Amino acid sequence: MKGAVHEWAGLVARLVTGAVWLVAGALKVTSPDTSIAAVRAYELLPGSLVEPVALTLPALELVVGLALILGVLTRGAAVVSGLLFVAFIIGIVSVWSRGIEIDCGCFGGGGFDPDASAKYPWEIARDSGLLLLSAYVVLVPRTRVAVDRILFPERSHA
Amino acid sequence: MSDGMSKSQKRAATAAALREEQQRRENRRRLITIGAVLAAMVLIVGGAILVSKLQSDKQQSDLESAVPPAGSSANGVTIGPDSAPHTVVIYEDFLCPFCGELEHQTHAKLAELAADGKVQVEYRPFDLLGGGNPESYSERSLNAFAAVLDSAGPEAAKKMHDLLYENQPSESGPFPSDDDLLALAVQAGASESQVKDDIENGGQQDFVDQATAAAQKAGVKSTPTVLVDGKLQTGFSTVDDLATQLLQEVG
Repeated sequence: MKGAVHEWAGLVARLVTGAVWLVAGALKVTSPDTSIAAVRAYELLPGSLVEPVALTLPALELVVGLALILGVLTRGAAVVSGLLFVAFIIGIVSVWSRGIEIDCGCFGGGGFDPDASAKYPWEIARDSGLLLLSAYVVLVPRTRVAVDRILFPERSHA
Repeated sequence: MSDGMSKSQKRAATAAALREEQQRRENRRRLITIGAVLAAMVLIVGGAILVSKLQSDKQQSDLESAVPPAGSSANGVTIGPDSAPHTVVIYEDFLCPFCGELEHQTHAKLAELAADGKVQVEYRPFDLLGGGNPESYSERSLNAFAAVLDSAGPEAAKKMHDLLYENQPSESGPFPSDDDLLALAVQAGASESQVKDDIENGGQQDFVDQATAAAQKAGVKSTPTVLVDGKLQTGFSTVDDLATQLLQEVG
């Protein structure tokens, strides 16, 4: 009974985080220049890494989002999702503590934003919430309505 | 009796071997499935990166071919001779703090190199941060710059440009009043009576709109956007890097 509740809750967690990644990735993948400017604005990475990271992140977000929504390699996708949220939280805390005011560029955009300081706490809260949901998906071994169930049928002895 | 035992033992052993074999096959199937799914994901990520990279390269080369060469536009102010071995085009917004930082680090050196005939620099200010609002500081400052350019010529306009950055307000304000801008214009060498009306009533709005439209048309989406010898400057991490990079290439 309890297991079933977790399976359904896991599905909800998957869909919420997955949808966020899918939207975030899709909005950025089509405008690489904006992503590059957004990553540069964090002033965290050496110049030569800015472009590779800016081009890789949206693509990775897109695939993690897809994997979570479909429930393919759910656990692995949730681990990557969690790690990405940790990285983004560190990024936002870092710019905040250095007094840099930028749009986080989470859903496209990026660069200077005069109201950024007021938004940082909410952005960190949002990412922390999504990090918790990702962690939950990692912990729940099997969720409802997942492609994993077809690809990896329950073992008879499990 | 002993035969029977060994028979049932054999049967058990065969069943165990079968189960093991089945288990092995199942494990293999799982591994292959995981591998196939991972490969598909890597393919999607790689494809998306490739598409973005191509698009980014295209945007860059489009911008490079759309930007008029230094000294050729009606929307800026140029220092240094046409014969200079290097050219620089800088798109900027008078309010943008990174532009202010870049100016702070490069304007003296670039002016010196331009005076020595080693570089030609065209500064092209436009409205990026004001969002097209004539009341915004981006547009008011650009309007004042244009008023000086119109009435007192490029040399005074360059001075006005430098003064505007020297006295750059914070992006969150408070912003200089019309009187403050007028005082800077006079300091730059314009006559008060000639620029007063323009500064107070947005008399150079046409220049502001044209400069902004020209920058947008060229595909300039952020400031500072710097081109050295027609090549867009990329690969920098901070404005400090950009300033160093810029001075190295023309120095």
